[in-house]
Amino acid sequence: MPDNNTPLLQGTLDMLILKTVALEPMHAHGIGQRIDQISQGVFQVNPGSLFPAFKRLERAGWLDSEWRATENNRRGKYYILTASGRKQLRSETRDWKTQSVAIARILQA
Amino acid sequence: MKVFRHLSAGLKELVRRDKTESELREELNAYVQNAADAKIDAGATPEEALRSARLELGGMETVKHEVRAVGWEFALEVFVQDIRYGVRMLRKSPLFTAVAVMAIAIGIGANTAIFSLVDAILLRPLPYHDPQRLIVVGTQQRGISGMDLMGPADFLAWRDHQQSFEQVAVLDLAGRSFALSGMGAPERIPGVGVSANFFSIFGVAPLKGREFQPGEDRPGLPGVVVISERFWRDHLGSDPKVLNRTLSLDGKLRTIVGVMPAGFRFPSSRPVDLWAIRTLNPPTARPPYGLVAIGRLKPGINVSKAVAELNNIAAQVTAQYPSSPDLVGVMMPMKEWMVSDVSTALLVLLGAIALVLLIAVVNVANLLLARATVRQREVAVRMALGASRRRVVRQLLTESAVLSLLGGVIGLLLAYIAVRAFLAFGPGHMPRLDEVGINPVVLLFTFVVCVGSGILFGLAPALETSRPSLSDPLKDTNRSSSSASAHRTHRALLVFEVGLALILMIGSGLLVRSFVRLSDVNPGIQTDHVITAAISLPNKYAGPAQITQFWQQFLEKVEALPGVKAAGITMSLPPNLLAISNPFTVEGQGYDRNRQLQLAEEMTVSPGYFRSLGIPLMKGRFFSPSEKVEGDKDPMIVIINETMAKQYFRGKDPIGARIQTGDPDPSAPWETIVGVVGDVKYSGLDSAPSPTLYVPYNENGWVMWSREMYLVIRGSGDAPEIVPAIRTQLASMDSTLPIAQVRTMDQLLDESLVQQRFRTWLVSGFAVLALLLSAIGIYALISYSVSQRTREIGLRIALGAQRSDVLGMVLREGLQLLALGLLLGLVGALSATRILQSLLYSTSATDAMTFVATSLTLISVALLACYIPARRATKVDPMVHCDLSRFRGLV
Repeated sequence: MPDNNTPLLQGTLDMLILKTVALEPMHAHGIGQRIDQISQGVFQVNPGSLFPAFKRLERAGWLDSEWRATENNRRGKYYILTASGRKQLRSETRDWKTQSVAIARILQA
Repeated sequence: MKVFRHLSAGLKELVRRDKTESELREELNAYVQNAADAKIDAGATPEEALRSARLELGGMETVKHEVRAVGWEFALEVFVQDIRYGVRMLRKSPLFTAVAVMAIAIGIGANTAIFSLVDAILLRPLPYHDPQRLIVVGTQQRGISGMDLMGPADFLAWRDHQQSFEQVAVLDLAGRSFALSGMGAPERIPGVGVSANFFSIFGVAPLKGREFQPGEDRPGLPGVVVISERFWRDHLGSDPKVLNRTLSLDGKLRTIVGVMPAGFRFPSSRPVDLWAIRTLNPPTARPPYGLVAIGRLKPGINVSKAVAELNNIAAQVTAQYPSSPDLVGVMMPMKEWMVSDVSTALLVLLGAIALVLLIAVVNVANLLLARATVRQREVAVRMALGASRRRVVRQLLTESAVLSLLGGVIGLLLAYIAVRAFLAFGPGHMPRLDEVGINPVVLLFTFVVCVGSGILFGLAPALETSRPSLSDPLKDTNRSSSSASAHRTHRALLVFEVGLALILMIGSGLLVRSFVRLSDVNPGIQTDHVITAAISLPNKYAGPAQITQFWQQFLEKVEALPGVKAAGITMSLPPNLLAISNPFTVEGQGYDRNRQLQLAEEMTVSPGYFRSLGIPLMKGRFFSPSEKVEGDKDPMIVIINETMAKQYFRGKDPIGARIQTGDPDPSAPWETIVGVVGDVKYSGLDSAPSPTLYVPYNENGWVMWSREMYLVIRGSGDAPEIVPAIRTQLASMDSTLPIAQVRTMDQLLDESLVQQRFRTWLVSGFAVLALLLSAIGIYALISYSVSQRTREIGLRIALGAQRSDVLGMVLREGLQLLALGLLLGLVGALSATRILQSLLYSTSATDAMTFVATSLTLISVALLACYIPARRATKVDPMVHCDLSRFRGLV
C-alpha cells in the first residue's frame, strides 16, 4: 500500500460510489479504478470494502445491477444508479459541501 | 417501507442462498479478470497480472464473508449456528447437561409457580370494570387503626347523603350461609346478603338471567337470589331453564333470577354460591356492626376527599346515638382489602424461591467454570483460527442460554404440575385463587428469568474460557495452568452461594420456630374426643319459646345417646370461629364516650358447653339447665374468663359484680357475674388473651341470637362415629334442618394453622434445597481443587507430610470459604429477615437461637461436604500420582 493512501471517512465511500456510477453504469473493478484515478491515488478502495458497500447500497435501493459484456468482451456485473439513489447522492453531496466548508472555516480560524 | 425492503431482501437471500453465493463468486472472479486485463494493458505479463490481481483482491473468502455480514440475516445465521454448536457440545457431556438442566428446571419451575400466584393475586388488576375505582368502606373508632365493619345506621346515612361515589352497595358478612332444603338432604350453602345494586358496582354481566334490579331490596318484596355458576352446575345440573326456579333458603322461598359466571366471586377469600337480597330496615340502634360497604368512586374524586365526607356523615350519626362510640370512616382500595392478608407471605415466598434459583445459578456457573478449564483448548483453537473474543463469548453465552431454556421448558412443566397441586391441596382460603394459572404474563416472566439466569451463569465461565492466556493452552498438557483466575471466580461464587443459603435457612428456621410455638399454644380446651357441627334454625322458629324449646329437646336427646358424655351449643368455636365482639362497661367505671372501647368476645352457650370442651371453672359456678333466665324480670347472668377477671377486677372477687354490654349506656340492663372460667382462644391461636363473656343461649335479649349455633359433643370413643346418630335425632325433630361443617376439634385446630403450616413447609423445603445445592457446590469445588493438587499433595506426602496435615490443609481451604460465606449470610439475614416479622408468632426476626442453630447446621453439612474430598486427598499415593523419578537427583 502506498503511503499517500488516506483512509476514507466512514460513510464517504458510499457517496463516492454513487457519484461514480452517476456518470454511467460500471462494474466493480471499474468503479475502484475510477475512484483511484480521479482522486489521483489518494483513495485506493480495496475490494474488501467495495463489495460490502455494493450490497449495502443495493439493499438501500440506491443501486441496481445487471450482468453485461465488458469492453474486453468478458461478463461483468454493472451497477446502475436508481432514481432514489440519485436523490440520495444529491442530498449527500449537499450535506458534504456544507460540512466541508464549515470544517475548512474552523481549520482556518 | 425501508424496513420491509430490508426484511424481504434478507429473506430472499436466506431462501436463495446458493444463487447469491454463486453470483458473488462470479462477480469476484470477474473482478480479478478485469483487474488482470487492466494490468496487461499497462504492460504486465498475463501471469504477473493475474497474480497481482488476486493479491489485490485479498482472501476471496474474507471478502465473501464481509459481504455476507452486511444483511441482518447474517446475525440470524450466526445465531442458529451457535445454537447448533451449543447443542452439539451439550450432547457431548450428557451428565453435566442433565445436572445443570435439572438444577435450572427446579429453580425456574418453582419460581414460575410462585410467580403465577403473585401475578394472579397481587399484580393483576381485579377482573372487574375499571377496578381501581372500587373501594371498600368501613368504620372504626377514632384513634384506632384498621378497618371495622359498618352498622346499618351509618351505611344508610352515608348511602343517602354521599356525593363521592357513583354507587354504593352493601354486603352482610354476619350471615355466611343459607340452609337449603327441599332438594335431597338439607345442607348449608355459602352465601351473602347484598343490596340490590351490588352487582352493577362490579360491572360484570351475569352468565344467565339478570342482576338484581334497583329497588328490589325494599322491605316486603318477594325474595330473589342470584346463584354462582358452580352452584348451578353442582346442584341444579346446569339446568337450562334455571331462571324462575325457586330455592328454599333458611325456610323461605327465593326465586333464582340470575347465574353469575365462574370468574365472579366476591367476597373472594371464601366460597360464595348464593347472593340473596339483604333488606335494610330503618335502624333503631347503631350496632350491630356486620356490614361491609363497597362503592365505585366517581372519576376524578380521590379517596381522602371521600373519607372526609364519610367522617362528616358519621359524626351526624354519632350525634343521633349519643351512647355510641365516636366512629370515623375508613376506605381501602378493593384489591388491597382482598389481598392484604396474604401479600407479605406471598412476597416472602417469592423472595425465598428467587434465592433458591440464584443458588442453583451459582452452582451451574461453577460447573461451567470447571468445564471452562477443559474447554480452553477447544476455544484456543477457534481463536487461533481467527475467531474474536467477542465471537467466542457470544457462542459460549448462546450455549448457556440453550442450557437455561432447556431448563426453563422442563421448569414450566414442573410449574404447571406444582400450580395444579397447589390449587388441589394447598390452603384453600386465599383470595383470587380461581385466577391463578400459567398465562402469557407468567410465560414472559419465565422466559426473562430463563435468559437472565443463562447469562448470569454463563458470563463468568465464558469470560474465563476465552481469556487470552500468556502460556499457549494449545501446547499445555497440564490443564491447570491458566485456572488460577478461574479458581478465584469459583471460590467467590461459592462464598456467595453459602451466604445465600444461610439467609434462606435462617428465614425458614424462624418460620419453623414460630410455627412450633404456635402449635404449642394451649387453646384452653381439651381437644380429644370432641366433634363439632353447625346447625342453624330458619325463620319459622320465630320466637324465643320455639328456639329454646328446640335446643332444649335436641340437647336432651343427644345427651341420651350412647357414647355421648356431654353436649352443648355455642355461637363461637375455638380456635378461630368467633362470631361477635361486644363493648362492655364494668359497674363503677363511669361512661366516658372518648375512652377507648373495651371489647369482649361474647357468645351465647348452653350449660353443657363448658363440660363438652373441658373448659375449667376457676371460681363461682357454671350455668345450670334449670336456671330461670328467659323472662323479662329474670336476672341476667354472665360467666367471664380469667383474663377479664385479671384485667378488670384486680384482686377483687368478680363473683356477684355487675357489668353492662353494648355501647356505654347508663340505662342498659345489668348482668351479674356468676362464674370465672379458663381462657379459650376464639380469635386464632396467635391472638393475645382477651376478655370473654359467656351468656346463657336462652337468656332474654340473647335468645334471638341463638339460631346459628355450633353443636359441641364430647364422646367417650371415636367422636365421628356419633355423627349418624345425631343426624337421625335432628331429622326426627325437623327433617329440613341441615347439619354442616362436621369437624373434630383437632381438625379445627389443624385447619386454623393451614396457611402458616403451608408457608413454613414451603420455605423449609426451599431452605433444604438451598442447603443441598450449596453442599453439592462445596463438594464439587473441594473435589476439583483436590484433583488439581494431586501431584502437589503426593509430593508433600513423599516429603514426609502426615495424612492429618494433608487433611487439615484441604479442610482449611473449605473452612476459609465457609467462614466468609457465613459472615456474608449473617449480615444479609439480619436485614432480610426483618420483612418476616409480621409472619412470626412470639419469635423475634433476629432470634439468636435460630441464627446460631442454622449456622451450625450449615457448618456441619458443609464440613461433611469438604471432608469427603479431603479424605480422598489423604489417600494420594505418591508412587502413583507423581513421577518421583524427576526428583531422583534430589532424593
